[in-house]
Amino acid sequence: MLRRLRAPHGALALPAWVFLLAFFVAPVALVFWYSFGEKPGLFGTHSNEVLSFARYGEAADATFLATFWNTLRIALLGTAICLVVALPFAYWVAVKVPTRWRGLLIALVLVPFWTNFLVRTLGWQIALSPEGFVSSGLQALGLRDDPLQVLYTRGAVQLGVVYNYLPLMVLPCYVALERTTASLREASRDLGAGRWRTLTSVTLPLAFPGIAAGCLLVFVPLMGDYVTATVLGGAKGNMVGQLVASQFQTAQNWALGSAMAVLLVVFIAVTVLVAAAVALLVRTAVRRGRRVDLPAVASARVPAPAGGRS
Amino acid sequence: MTRKPPPTASLLAPRETARRLSTRLGRRSVLGGLAAAGSAWALSACGDGGSSASSAGAEADGKVEDALNIYTWADYDAPEVLSAFQEGGGPTLQIDSYGSNEEMLAKLVAAKGASGYDIVVPTGLFIPQMGSNGFLAELDRSKLPNFANLDPQYLGQTWDPDNTYSVPKDWGTTGFIYDTTVIGRELTSWADFLDAAQKEASGSVSILEDPWEVTCIYLAANGIDPNTSDPAQLQACEDYLVANLAPHLKGFESNPGGSAIAQSTYALMQCWNGDARLGLDGSNEPDKWKYVFPTPTANIWMDNWCITAGAEHPDAAYAFIDQVLEVDTSVQELLYIGYNTGLKDIEAKATAAGLDRAELVFPSEEVVARLTASVLNDGHETIVAILGKIRAAAGA
Amino acid sequence: MTALDDRPGTRRAAPAPARRRRSTSSALLGIWGALVLVFLFLPIAVIVVYSFNTGRLLTSWQGFGFSSYAAGLDRPVIRGAIATSVKAAVGAALLSAVIGSLAGLALARRGGRWAGLLTLLLGLTLVTPEIVDAISLLGWFVSLDSDAGLPLFGNGLVRLVIAHSVLSTAVVTFIVRARVSGMDASLEEAAADLYATPWARFRDITLPLAAPGVLAGGLMAFTLSLDNTIVASFVQLPGGTPWPVYVLSALRAALRPEIAAVSTLMLVLTLVSLAVVALVLRRSGDSATDVARTLTGGG
Repeated sequence: MLRRLRAPHGALALPAWVFLLAFFVAPVALVFWYSFGEKPGLFGTHSNEVLSFARYGEAADATFLATFWNTLRIALLGTAICLVVALPFAYWVAVKVPTRWRGLLIALVLVPFWTNFLVRTLGWQIALSPEGFVSSGLQALGLRDDPLQVLYTRGAVQLGVVYNYLPLMVLPCYVALERTTASLREASRDLGAGRWRTLTSVTLPLAFPGIAAGCLLVFVPLMGDYVTATVLGGAKGNMVGQLVASQFQTAQNWALGSAMAVLLVVFIAVTVLVAAAVALLVRTAVRRGRRVDLPAVASARVPAPAGGRS
Repeated sequence: MTRKPPPTASLLAPRETARRLSTRLGRRSVLGGLAAAGSAWALSACGDGGSSASSAGAEADGKVEDALNIYTWADYDAPEVLSAFQEGGGPTLQIDSYGSNEEMLAKLVAAKGASGYDIVVPTGLFIPQMGSNGFLAELDRSKLPNFANLDPQYLGQTWDPDNTYSVPKDWGTTGFIYDTTVIGRELTSWADFLDAAQKEASGSVSILEDPWEVTCIYLAANGIDPNTSDPAQLQACEDYLVANLAPHLKGFESNPGGSAIAQSTYALMQCWNGDARLGLDGSNEPDKWKYVFPTPTANIWMDNWCITAGAEHPDAAYAFIDQVLEVDTSVQELLYIGYNTGLKDIEAKATAAGLDRAELVFPSEEVVARLTASVLNDGHETIVAILGKIRAAAGA
Repeated sequence: MTALDDRPGTRRAAPAPARRRRSTSSALLGIWGALVLVFLFLPIAVIVVYSFNTGRLLTSWQGFGFSSYAAGLDRPVIRGAIATSVKAAVGAALLSAVIGSLAGLALARRGGRWAGLLTLLLGLTLVTPEIVDAISLLGWFVSLDSDAGLPLFGNGLVRLVIAHSVLSTAVVTFIVRARVSGMDASLEEAAADLYATPWARFRDITLPLAAPGVLAGGLMAFTLSLDNTIVASFVQLPGGTPWPVYVLSALRAALRPEIAAVSTLMLVLTLVSLAVVALVLRRSGDSATDVARTLTGGG
């Protein structure tokens, strides 16, 4: 019986296997292969006649590393700000807002997420320009003497990335917090825990998988993004994705660009693994410290990791 | 736009200067061009990725197709010319834009010639290599009756002596524009540009995205030939620009005329003469800006209409190029873009048609006499890398 | 996805001082929530307002009018860009809905090592930086087209559909898996006991049950494709420029109000498709939370 059901179901995954192997694994493998080659003159993009690790040496030069640190700083700070902004918001929607309004509020969060990200960024560009309405409004109110100079600064880059990735942080946090139902919090309070204690011992630990998924969903795409930063940041928005792109779009050095791309992926993976290890350590330590208070509740109701996407 | 048209000099400059200029330029660009073409050819002959273009385009059969794909510099044609061409069932134009010749080449090379673009607009210095590597189609002059409208002074340039691949589109030069309310003193040279960038205009400077133009700022300011390929000079150039210019940059802007001048996004911008004019036309307070043809030298470039070897809409491409060579259309183009389109007596015709800011479109003889045409040589990869390092330093 | 939420029927009354503190913190949270919403909508409101700008440049306001809408819809290139975007989005939605739904069904019903591997692979597609997808697909398409002699991959629309499907197949898969794994397998087993053929079982039982997930996934793929810029800018071919790439290119030259006008229209289009999904999911009995969870792919 079960056997009869299983056989066709396994075959259902076949198209996905074929598709991903043909258009994800193979192309990425090709990039990996190119990264060992070289650029053969002005009108060639790549040649693998001579294989070497030389491109990695060139890729990991001071320029790349400086840009990488710049990108990493923007991405880490962006992720952190997103978390700080999104967590109270998600908590508000999941806990304070009446149930019937929650769907609407979550839909509202999705609306910006589903407008073209370039156009959203342009909206900020208009709002923030020295002659824009934010600037003249601040001047009219007497809050500033001179025109606002935000555009093409690091602050603008940070604002833009936080804006563009905020919904990706809000949603997993919301889903996770929504699962830590009110009855759990009440149980915690009945057992004598204060409100702050309940928040830190029950609510946040239970929301941890959602928070982790949100951080991952914001951090990884942010590391590879460069358009948001360029549009709002000008010269200050130089991201490592731009370096990779320019090897393909300007310098036509596919070998070097591929090596940079491989390094980028490796660096992102290392950063995520380190962050995950730190987060798990902290979580374990915190749990161990708290376990005495609410053992049954905390361990019985841990939900499955929230993100299929993570 | 790294470009060049020496013979303009012979038209506009005094006779002596013209002779001196065109000999000097001519020899250098031929040598540089041939050397670069030769090395590219030799290198591309080996290596699987170093392929020449494979052309699988359509034959020109006299029937104009329903579409035309043009890859050109941003905002580089008069909108009314473009819409007139499409009116009455004409081909649908798709125009994509680039900010440097390198970017355009990258697109063609990546697609191994089958980029899908019918017309590209390279600067002269790139044409020999693009032609010999099979990226450009040899032009059929019989399909371009309006070719005769061009001033012979602009034909037969060193990079394409018989106009096998190219038809002149326009020529111009490079300089900078500054906000006099921010920079009170008068700026006249590239050295002034660098100085103001580090003082009054710090944090409010934009430069072009073209490697030649960017390195030229330092080289010209220090009296070095902007076409140098001497590694020591280029290293000095890199060191200076990365350490002293990059930290003061706010943006890399190929077309300040698009909106940056109108919005006062920067106080000091490197830009092309026609683009500066476009920006001033769109500005509410054009009087606060001053455009400079900097000393001691700057680029003199010519952009050219070329049809790609793999063009799928060759007849539409010929029809379009012929259309813009028509006198009234050319005047319309000039009135919009603000570059000399190289037709016979175009200056008089444009002036009669009410050209504004003519001094930006037609620089004086004195200015033209000191310009240098950009050349593609062994230093090319180095200057591309220098621009990359400036970008990284500016963002750090 | 299952309706396991044990919401409290009534809230227990808290002691008076705690209530005051609670109302203070509630008020603060409410203010914070409102500020976040304002933050999220400010630039969109700016774009919608500026779409009625009659000036030459988008960024400098001249006056109110509808000229930009007329101009935007009148330009063949803009119409072409939108048509390309919509065609690519429909194609990507169909392709990834088919592939992703089948994979989602397989993963929901069958565990094991291969399922784990497929999940890992799909997860990797989600966390690969877009620029890496972009350059790898460009090189791959060019190789397939000119070296392997497969002209199919020299077609801009085919490239866009495939590239966008790579980005969204995983989303569809996880949404459908979440939907189906919450369902009881006994219906299918009963059908099998009644000698229904595998196809009939799939058509009459599995598919209708999975349908809301498939629809949500498909529309998700549609919107993701409509929004994609980086990958599209690498793999597209001239004559087939999608709308976001057109905007990116227009950033280089002067930004005209037409961009804002067309963006506003696109926003309305996206809102309508989102509303349709939400409605269908509501009809099929999901709670608001489940709708949000499904839409965001969170199992």
